[in-house]
This record gives sequence, structure tokens and C-alpha cells, in this order.
Amino acid sequence: MKIKPVSTRWFWLLVMLLCLGATAATARAEMKLEAQLIWGTSDDVTADPLHKPVDADVAAKLKSLHLQWKNFFVVESKQFTVAKDDTQSAKLSKDCEVKVKNLGHGDVEMTILGRGKEIGKIKQSLPKGELLVTGGNAENSTAWFVALKQLE
Amino acid sequence: MTTEQQLKLQAFLDGELPEGEARDVAALIARDPEAAKLHAELKNTRQALKGADAGMTLPESREFFWSKIKREIERAAPVAEPEPEPVSVFVTLRRLFVPLSAVAALVIIGVIATKQFNSTADAAATQGTVTELADAGAVTYHNYETGTTLVWLSYPADDSTQPKTTVQ
Repeated sequence: MKIKPVSTRWFWLLVMLLCLGATAATARAEMKLEAQLIWGTSDDVTADPLHKPVDADVAAKLKSLHLQWKNFFVVESKQFTVAKDDTQSAKLSKDCEVKVKNLGHGDVEMTILGRGKEIGKIKQSLPKGELLVTGGNAENSTAWFVALKQLE
Repeated sequence: MTTEQQLKLQAFLDGELPEGEARDVAALIARDPEAAKLHAELKNTRQALKGADAGMTLPESREFFWSKIKREIERAAPVAEPEPEPVSVFVTLRRLFVPLSAVAALVIIGVIATKQFNSTADAAATQGTVTELADAGAVTYHNYETGTTLVWLSYPADDSTQPKTTVQ
């Protein structure tokens, strides 16, 4: 049996597609995330000049929750990448830390620690463009939030 | 004339009968015209066949004759297939890998399809937020329109465990 040249071309095309598929699968398994510690207040200005207003997208999402606070400021922001079945920690303040586990298939397990103590663990699907927010009351009728989202 | 008498007549002609029986048959031929007629007919037939049954003699020896037959049999036997041309290692590998690649591609497609299915199933399973919280007063709110989920915790513990919203 004599192999025709066209078979060779198909063979290399197949190999190339397999390589691309493997690369895409590996890339998909990782999640690039951003965790933000946000302070919510009804005041128009923040006491700390280092605090910057949250970006428009996050602000719109927070406003869609119909919370009483008008303004939201970023206290700390951390970006990190989590491989599938791996866990990454991000310290957002001296009291607040977040741990994120990549459960695969776009699912995450977010653990919030306050002063070293676990105060909540949330498992949820977190597709790109969605925001997972945890929050609680803070002093002077303000609020704290930890927002987690996937980066592009 | 009975069949037995006819057979005995034939045996008489062939000289196969004992002397006593041969005398009886000879007497029968002498007195019975039908027996005499059959005897004459058989005798003529025998005489006619004698010339036609001459033995054939081969012009060559028996061994030489069979050796010729053997040669003809061997010549008529199917010719063995010619040796295949040697194939290079690359061609052999290519022949091996082309079908293997196709099988591998099918397996990968199957795995991806299965994972995709599981992913959809998992996504459906985790559609709702699963929380493991220290306090039972936690509240979860989804805004599916904007893709935002809020989990309100009572940390730090104080009197107000509900989020302060403008719209309830």
C-alpha cells in the first residue's frame, strides 16, 4: 500500500490540532482571579486618600444589589492565578484574608478569614464577567466587602 | 432354461466348473437347443473380445513415466509470491501513526465531550451558592441579570446581621 501525500498533510494537521487542544485545555484549567477588599460608605469622600473608587463594572454590579451605601472604595486588590484543585491565599488587610480553591469547570471555593478565623466558605460557579461578593457591617454604618472575579 | 443354468453355462465356458458339473453342462448343451444356442453366442462374444483386449505396452520405463507425471504436477503448482519490497522505518511509522492519531483524536473528542457534559452538570449543580458559614444568619442574594452574588455575613458580630438595602 502506498501512502498518498495528502495523508501526510492530514497527519500533521491532526498533530497540530491535538497540540492546540492540549494547550487550550491546560489554559482552561487555570483561573486568573482578582480579589478586592472594598469599603462601602454613604460618604462621598473617603478618609483614606489611598482608597480609590471601584471600577465602573464592579460599581454597577454592587449597585445592582440595591445596598444602602452609595460609594465603594478599593482598600486592597490582589491578582493571582490558581491551578485546578489548587488553593491560593491573598491577604487583603491585616485582619482580612481570602483563600480561593479552583474546583475546576469554573467553580471556586472562597474562604473568608477574619483575624485568622474562618468566618465563611462559599462554593460557587464563577464564570468570566460575574462577581462573587461577601460582605458585612463595619463601623459607623459602613460595610466591608470582598469581591472576587475572573480576569480576562 | 433357468438363470442358474445360464450362469453354469458361462462358468463352463470359462473352464471354472469341476469335472462332474462340467459333464452335466455338456450334456445339457447336447440335448437342449436353447442351451446350445446360448453357449454358441457366449463363445462368439468371448472370441470377439479376445482381440480387443490386447495389453498396452509403454514405450518407456515405469519410473521414467512417473517422473514425467511428477514434473508436470510440480510445474502446475502455484508460483510462490515474490518477496515484498523493503519498507523504510518512516513509512512504517507513518502507517502506524495515521490510524493511531485518528483513534487518539476520537478518544480526546470523547473525553472533552464527557468533561463538557460533566461541566454542564456541575454548573447546574452549583447554580445555587453553597455556603458553609459560622453563623446561621448569613444571607445570600443573587442578581442573575448582572451576574452578581452577595453573601452577607454577620462579621464582625453586631446587632445588624442583615444587609442594609434600599430595596427589599
